[in-house]
Amino acid sequence: MSDLKITGLHKHYGAFHAVRGIDLEVPSGEFTVLVGPSGCGKSTLLRAIAGLEEVSAGTVEIGGRDVTWARPRDRDIAMVFQNYALYPYLNVYENIAFGLRARRVASTEIDKRVKRAADMLGIVQLLERFPRELSGGQRQRVAIGRAIVRDALLFLFDEPLSNLDAQLRDDMRAEIKRLHQELGRTMVYVTHDQIEAMTLADRIALLRDGKIEQLGAPLDLFERPATRFVAGFLGSPKMNFLPGIIETGEVALCDGTKLTLPPGRKAPNGQAVVLGLRPQHIAKAGAGAAPGHVQLPAIIELGQQTGSRVQVSMPLGGSSITAEFAAHEVTAPGEQVRIDIDMTRAVLIDPQTDKVI
Amino acid sequence: MTSVPFHRRKETKLVFRYLTAVLLVVIFVFPIYWLFAISFKTPGEIFAVPPVWYPKSIQFNNYVVLFKDGDAKTVGNSLVLASASTFFAMIFGTIAAYSLTRFKTGGENLAVWIMSQRMMPPVAIAFPVFLLYVWLGWVDTYIGLIILYTAFSLPYVIWMMRGYIEDIPLELEESALIDGCSRWEVLWKVVFPMARSGLFATAVFTFVFSWNDFLFALVLTRTEVTTYTVQVTHYFGGQSNFWSKIAAMSVLGTIPVFITVATLQRYLVRGISMGAVKG
Amino acid sequence: MAAIAHPDRNFKYWLISPAIFLLLLIGLFPLIFSLVVSFMRVTMLETDTSFAGLANFVQLFHDARLWQSLAHTVLIIIVALPIELLLGLAMAYLFLNHMPGRPILISLLMLPTIISPIVAGATWRLLFDNRYGPINQIIGWFAGHPVPALWTVNPGLVYPAIIFCEIWQWTPFMFLILLAALSNVDRSLTEAAEIDGARLWRSFRYVVLPAIFPVMSIAILIRGLDLFRIFDIIWALTSGGPGTMTETVSVYAYVQGFRQFESSYTAAIAFLVIALLTVVVTWAIRRMGLAK
Repeated sequence: MSDLKITGLHKHYGAFHAVRGIDLEVPSGEFTVLVGPSGCGKSTLLRAIAGLEEVSAGTVEIGGRDVTWARPRDRDIAMVFQNYALYPYLNVYENIAFGLRARRVASTEIDKRVKRAADMLGIVQLLERFPRELSGGQRQRVAIGRAIVRDALLFLFDEPLSNLDAQLRDDMRAEIKRLHQELGRTMVYVTHDQIEAMTLADRIALLRDGKIEQLGAPLDLFERPATRFVAGFLGSPKMNFLPGIIETGEVALCDGTKLTLPPGRKAPNGQAVVLGLRPQHIAKAGAGAAPGHVQLPAIIELGQQTGSRVQVSMPLGGSSITAEFAAHEVTAPGEQVRIDIDMTRAVLIDPQTDKVI
Repeated sequence: MTSVPFHRRKETKLVFRYLTAVLLVVIFVFPIYWLFAISFKTPGEIFAVPPVWYPKSIQFNNYVVLFKDGDAKTVGNSLVLASASTFFAMIFGTIAAYSLTRFKTGGENLAVWIMSQRMMPPVAIAFPVFLLYVWLGWVDTYIGLIILYTAFSLPYVIWMMRGYIEDIPLELEESALIDGCSRWEVLWKVVFPMARSGLFATAVFTFVFSWNDFLFALVLTRTEVTTYTVQVTHYFGGQSNFWSKIAAMSVLGTIPVFITVATLQRYLVRGISMGAVKG
Repeated sequence: MAAIAHPDRNFKYWLISPAIFLLLLIGLFPLIFSLVVSFMRVTMLETDTSFAGLANFVQLFHDARLWQSLAHTVLIIIVALPIELLLGLAMAYLFLNHMPGRPILISLLMLPTIISPIVAGATWRLLFDNRYGPINQIIGWFAGHPVPALWTVNPGLVYPAIIFCEIWQWTPFMFLILLAALSNVDRSLTEAAEIDGARLWRSFRYVVLPAIFPVMSIAILIRGLDLFRIFDIIWALTSGGPGTMTETVSVYAYVQGFRQFESSYTAAIAFLVIALLTVVVTWAIRRMGLAK
């Protein structure tokens, strides 16, 4: 049985159609991430699940019950907000206990649960403190604590890590992943950060303009994107897109470069395509080309060190592409190198439909 | 030290500013001092030419007279009226402000109408209300005036509390809703605590407005529920005024306000500036 | 937000109903009631509820005393408001930067504003007393001889008396608002202007003034309307006298309604005042976006 089932969900804000017909089923215990650019409707969808927004059409079922018109508190959900939503006039203990007190749970039970949640999150020593005395990361833990103490059926996260600095974000991401493994609850997580999506999700729902562009396991979306949008959204640095035409087993780019397609790749002659190449699949050429790989000369434009890798830009096919070399394959602008492109990982996109062929 | 001319030096400017400021304060406070002084003077000192600038000794005779005559009861009336009406206005007004802010009830039109009520001249309202009260038998009653003061305070309370409620992060309320609170519980457990300082400030000013009212009290009371403001005017005379009584009564009616405002002045910038400036 | 699950649909209406009910009492009811009564002929002597049409309103137009009272009111507004504004602004600048004991001084300055206007009027009544009042005494010092000016009776002095009292009581209000507004002006703006070479007036006119204009407008609106309604101070100082010299609209309406008991006529005045003010105020509120 699925813990969350959304059917035909629509949401209008006046003339603006924020959510345009979403169907989504989340099996019990799964971690689903709703990801997409700003304005894609992911937060709206989450809030509709929570009952904080009224739906214009469609149904929401949680735990098999139709909760489309139910109050938030009757939906058996818990939510972690982007800005933590901690009550400044209550200490950490009371903040975590807030929901339990509202549901008239016995004090002894409250005490047990709060301490257990605090223990799980490593904030037991903070129970007497007030939110203003806590750091961003600590506040986020308290917010999560308040959610898990309720033992709800469905956990919702609304961009909880957006306000944290990069280092903290990495730590907290691991925390959340660990929590999911420990608790085994169904979780729906909204973020605009594709790294969070990739690392946390059992399944990713990539949203665009109010619709689900693609739904699947992270690696599925990464290696087998359905559309150009998906291909370009996941992966950092972004995938390179080069327009060209198919000519007998090759892709001919605008500048005349011809890249041989690996055997088994079918594509009709004369078809106009957009070739998608991930920077990770463009390396500095070593020895001879492996099957399915193509090697070319190229001129370095720019190199950006990240410590573990170098992001190198170079002209190809009429525009600048980005490649990833190892850190010490250092380059100077203007340098001539030989690059190795793994064409077996390349993606061919129909420019008319933006769908992957 | 560089040779900055004397009149441009920072210290000089400060001294000059300070002296001007103190002078201003003296000018503004003097009339109040004078009022207090008269209330403590003997008749001889009050009617002295040239005026006596400070009483030789502080004597409470003028006040005692007021208490003996029962005039001081009017301060009690003012207290009852202002307290009760402030209490009700704060409750009804705050929840109304919440409705307006969070749910946009009635849209902009309702909000505009409510705010415009604050600007109505008391005399235009007093007259029809007076006739109504005559018909209802509410003239010179506590309930009549409490209802009127409450109603008249509402636009101010709603105006002010709107601003304070807007400042509460919506997520706090949403989180409470998800955690199990009913809408009323959200009001009571989240909104009121978060808006506490705003509630104080608004309550103080609402209280002071009602406490200081004159026209409504003049029109709608006779002998039972006289407020101190009306009582003061009873001491006016065509030829001569009951100076001592005017002063003493005024002081009696003013001290509570001073004390209230003094104790809560930290919260008050926004209240005084009518929410025009977020303070 | 605006999201309410079905069960809570009516919550917002419950919340606002007590307030609306009371507001109708002082908002809608006086308007309608005045209108109705103004179409009758109710006076102290006879309660004639027959329909008199617009007779009362016609009478309004020909009532010189009413127009005079309007002129008196406008006079007070035109004189007092700018003075309060400029004086308040000057004081705000004076107190803008740090000085020892600043909070105490500001608190003391607020005292006139928090006392009852009737007490303010009574206080100045005593101050202005021609024989025993300190004002005349101080003037006498400068003049070198006793000056028993009759502030509350002398036609030439009544308006200055009223305006002094009014300014004394309400300039601190303007002062506080403007002080808060000035404090909120981003320092970096004035500093940038100074570096660019702007002198005091330039900097004020083009940097400070636009920044405080919204707040100032609200303050002017509030004070302007308060001045229009002025009653207590005048009642305490002159009762509208001598004769009807200092009678403002509110005073005149009061006299007509509660001394002469010209109920219908007063109702007509009340109706017009409410109607006109509502239009003006509503326009102003919308214009300034106060209801958003």
